[in-house]
Amino acid sequence: MITQIVFWFFAVVLIGSAVMVVSARNPVHSVLFLILAFFNAAGLFLIAGAEFLAMILVIAYVGAVAVLFLFVVMMLDVNFSQLREGLQRYFPVGAAVGLVLFVELALSASAWRIAPNVRDLPHARVPGASSNTEALGELIYTHYVFLFQACGLVLLVAMIGAIVLTLRDRPSAKRQDVAVQHARVPADTLQMMTLGLGESTTGNGGFRRPIGKSAEKPVSRPALVIENSPDREG
Amino acid sequence: MHVVLADYFPVLVFVVIAFGIAGAMLGGSLLAGQQKPYAEKLSAYECGFDAFDDARRRFDVRFYLVSILFIIFDLEVAFLFPWAVALGRIGLFGFLSMLAFLGVLTVGFIYEWRKGALDWE
Amino acid sequence: MLPGIANVGLGPYLTVSAALLVLGVFGIFLNRKNVITIMMSIELILLAGEINLVAFSSALGDLSGQVFTLFVLTVAAAEAAIGLAIVTVYFRNRGSIQVEDVTLMKG
Repeated sequence: MITQIVFWFFAVVLIGSAVMVVSARNPVHSVLFLILAFFNAAGLFLIAGAEFLAMILVIAYVGAVAVLFLFVVMMLDVNFSQLREGLQRYFPVGAAVGLVLFVELALSASAWRIAPNVRDLPHARVPGASSNTEALGELIYTHYVFLFQACGLVLLVAMIGAIVLTLRDRPSAKRQDVAVQHARVPADTLQMMTLGLGESTTGNGGFRRPIGKSAEKPVSRPALVIENSPDREG
Repeated sequence: MHVVLADYFPVLVFVVIAFGIAGAMLGGSLLAGQQKPYAEKLSAYECGFDAFDDARRRFDVRFYLVSILFIIFDLEVAFLFPWAVALGRIGLFGFLSMLAFLGVLTVGFIYEWRKGALDWE
Repeated sequence: MLPGIANVGLGPYLTVSAALLVLGVFGIFLNRKNVITIMMSIELILLAGEINLVAFSSALGDLSGQVFTLFVLTVAAAEAAIGLAIVTVYFRNRGSIQVEDVTLMKG
């Protein structure tokens, strides 16, 4: 009884926030309603017993994907008004298509019966697991290993794609190369000289030491020169 | 193993208390404070002038890249959770399959490190 | 059947899932010009599929539905990330996110 009340509460709020996602004027409101929808879907998952998935929905979907949406919506300077034109034109077509789709789904669901011998079919069951997470863990990395590796590849492609798209190489930025820094020896930077009285450094090759290491001409006074690190020659 | 919804009753109590405290704070300030707004008070303060421009800044893509990398590694951790719980039951094969997955993502990690996506100038 | 879904029944879950799917498709129709709202509608469609999978997994006592939901989640997150990266770069180059101008990217 309580389960049904909780289910209907989650379901109604989920559908309501989905309606607001597609019809809100402000995209920021859309994203916030999407977050609400994800939370309620996580509640539905909990009722169905998929507790690991409910938590992953909150952690990954809300915590990462929705934040990403929020980022993009808030940082892109979008002119909202011109995006809303054409709403009146496409509303009846969209409603018609949506209605047809819903009727199709309802018809197919009403004509569909669960087979009587479904209990005898092979199921991915883990009878001895102490929790939903443990049961899933026992399945994913053994029985569904190929899908699991494919997921890893999908994530790799997403990572590389994101970097290729958004990383802008800034040659003017000074970057650290830790290996080069560790490889410095005192002989690269210091050279002890003995100067006689009254002698200047200009006559003895200038201030920049050691000559040739940084590929600069020696100067007589310490000028503020931006030094190119060795592996960034142009 | 069956999840009973009643197990999550403490979460509901937590949420109700959180909403209650937040609502009490907001409601308290709404009820206890004097509200006499007029147009001057409600306008944004910009040293006496009207707002010139939208408050949004020019977008810096590096924040977005950090966020994407967070998604990818968050999903990797999401896959690590059931593996960690069930490691005793899946034996060497399960261990090696997770190693392969982590290896694939480490290749991506090395790529982004060398490309300088993790540098922040 | 797990106790939660035995109480509620499979039908309501499938109805909610169908309604979400329809709302997602409707949202794509309605927000033709706003590419971010289109992506959010796609996320709603994927969420509908996930609810469906979890409902059946719970009703039949078969965990493969939940395993597949995890993979759908991964793919949905990766797709959202790349899609939004494309939108961002597009906006950076063009200054607006009019969906109609996207055909100008044709090579």
